Amino acid sequence: MPRIKDNMPVIIMGVFLLVYGLIVNTGVLLPAMKYLHTHKSMDLQVMMSFILGGLALVGALINSAKEPGNSVFDRFFLQPLGGVIMILLMAMAIRWYLEPMVKIMSASLQPVLGFKLYKVLNLNYVVLGILAGVVLTNSYGIPKFAEAGVKCARFVLKMGVIMLGARYSFAELAKLGVYSVWLIGFFVLGTVFLVLWLGNLFKQPKSMTGVLSAGMGVCGVSATVAVAPVVKAKSTEMAYTIGTILSFGIICMFVFPTIGKLAGMNAVQFGAWAGTGILNSAQVAAAALAFNAVDIKTLKVAEIFNITRVLFLPVIVLVLATWFGKETGQKLSFKSVVIDKFPLFILGFLILFGMSSAGLFSPPGHYKGKYIDVSYNDRTQVTPEEWEVLNKAMAAGEFKGLTAEQMAAVNDLIHQRQIAGNYQDRNDKTKFDQVGRARMTELEGILAAAKAKTVSISAEVKSAIKHAVKQVHKKSKTVVTLTDFMIWFFAFGLIGLGMQITKKSITQAGGWPIVMGVISGTTKATLSFFVVLWLVKDVVLH
Amino acid sequence: MFKHILLCTHSTEGAQKAEAFVFDRLEKDPALRVSVLTVLDEDWRGMTGDDWLNSSKSHATFLDHVETQVTEEIQEEWDRIRAAYPAGARAEFYQQIGNIAETIARAAGALGCDLIVIGPWQKSKGLLDNSRSKGLRDRIKNKDLHPLLPCPLMIIP
Repeated sequence: MPRIKDNMPVIIMGVFLLVYGLIVNTGVLLPAMKYLHTHKSMDLQVMMSFILGGLALVGALINSAKEPGNSVFDRFFLQPLGGVIMILLMAMAIRWYLEPMVKIMSASLQPVLGFKLYKVLNLNYVVLGILAGVVLTNSYGIPKFAEAGVKCARFVLKMGVIMLGARYSFAELAKLGVYSVWLIGFFVLGTVFLVLWLGNLFKQPKSMTGVLSAGMGVCGVSATVAVAPVVKAKSTEMAYTIGTILSFGIICMFVFPTIGKLAGMNAVQFGAWAGTGILNSAQVAAAALAFNAVDIKTLKVAEIFNITRVLFLPVIVLVLATWFGKETGQKLSFKSVVIDKFPLFILGFLILFGMSSAGLFSPPGHYKGKYIDVSYNDRTQVTPEEWEVLNKAMAAGEFKGLTAEQMAAVNDLIHQRQIAGNYQDRNDKTKFDQVGRARMTELEGILAAAKAKTVSISAEVKSAIKHAVKQVHKKSKTVVTLTDFMIWFFAFGLIGLGMQITKKSITQAGGWPIVMGVISGTTKATLSFFVVLWLVKDVVLH
Repeated sequence: MFKHILLCTHSTEGAQKAEAFVFDRLEKDPALRVSVLTVLDEDWRGMTGDDWLNSSKSHATFLDHVETQVTEEIQEEWDRIRAAYPAGARAEFYQQIGNIAETIARAAGALGCDLIVIGPWQKSKGLLDNSRSKGLRDRIKNKDLHPLLPCPLMIIP
């Protein structure tokens, strides 16, 4: 084992994960987990610890025993393994320990501060993950054993977006697509021309305004990287522009979710605003998950806007190349400007969307993996406590102002302890199902009436009915698994990308790029905020 | 006293003080050898920030462009040195990529220099100051450079 010393960090992580998995499996940590509200993820913690610990040990032992090679196995498993394990270990620690502790500390500080710190700063596991990445890379630095694995973050994030493709319906994609094309089209072109005009106003070199306009207008650093060689940007121009965009983007990542919540934006509105107004595409995903990390509605919207921006990139590169080429007389091929810039991962996104729409991940009749199942099942019932609440409310005559059908649905819910058809019809599946669904609709009507304050029911009763409705909404295991993987992919990708944000790149911000960047970036963020609030009102996501 | 000086410059105002000092010595001492070193900071690799949308080909194209561009800018600075100091024609010029402190120490050792000359540490200019130098803003940290030094280091204030 000549290289065992080089692989020691990976061996230590592997052993740690296996030991942690064993400890969790014994249940010793259950009281602490309950305190942190992470006990529901106990099985997942054990499974992930064993799998990752095992992989780390096996990989480290192979790496110690053999000469480093250049095979596919070497490049895609053995070399990145250390970094991949390190980032996943960070993601696990953040998700199951740091985030809950931040929440608890924020709650205990509330009497002193007057607000919950984690809510104001949106300190969920995604933002904490990015911050952890930024802190690590700018303090200790990325350890040598993890360098190859950290580079995987870009690929993993693309995989996350590809998997997200399975979560859209045709209607959602069509609706969001129309909004995003119009909004992004307007704001991308608007910002690009605003920066070009500012450059002209401040008498700045064309190469600088070209590279800055792409960065501010399209998708931040990605656009800068794509455009810089085309407009022959100078080193200072690239450094100042990238620094400005990164600094502005990090501020946006914290400010956008806070403003979105203060303004009472819904998931769709915030996704559209973040997708339009935030410069850097990685920070769009981060802000969307910071706004709402529980379900993925905001992320779904934000990523459609992100994808639209990326599709605009080759167009903008072509425009700037033509504009710059006229000045310098340089000739650029269509392939080098457009074909090479086309983001191939979007094809993966569309393929998964197509597969999902064709019903490959969930049985026919399911809507995006969700379906209604009113058959008799222990897991479909309300809890004994909820049944007690409903029973007492009925006895006390609390259900006033309901229609006859709504009252019948509540009575049946109490009688059967779940939403279902009639017991005597249980062998006629169609009839049983129809009656059950009709009862569910009536109960949803009660909740809507309570929200509109046309009927008055207690919060406990409302919660019990809500839970009863939720219990009959089943999810396709394939889609749930895909979503779980996707969330971990995003967490991994964003921690890894956090590690790419160096202090040195941020401190490059300055000069004319920061003046023009702040003017154009603030204008874009402010205008898009109002436009989104005005335009995006009627999109419903499932 | 010293036979071979390694002048490290990246053309900032401070570095130009070091240039003036070294070429003045070279003018007076025909036996003196001067090697001029400009380091292309390896941290340019990290300047793609958190870009994840581009393909690896676009990244490589960007980094190639950076290298070409910075090399051109370094050549311009060397031309400036040659034009400013007649003795500059006798100097040897080297461009290397890497961590600044490590590259300076490695180059001094490899070239057999007996003195390294650099400009003074300078305070960063204001955020909105447009007269800042080319390339990445960086500062050599004494604690990084000093343990690596193969020969004496002279800082020209």
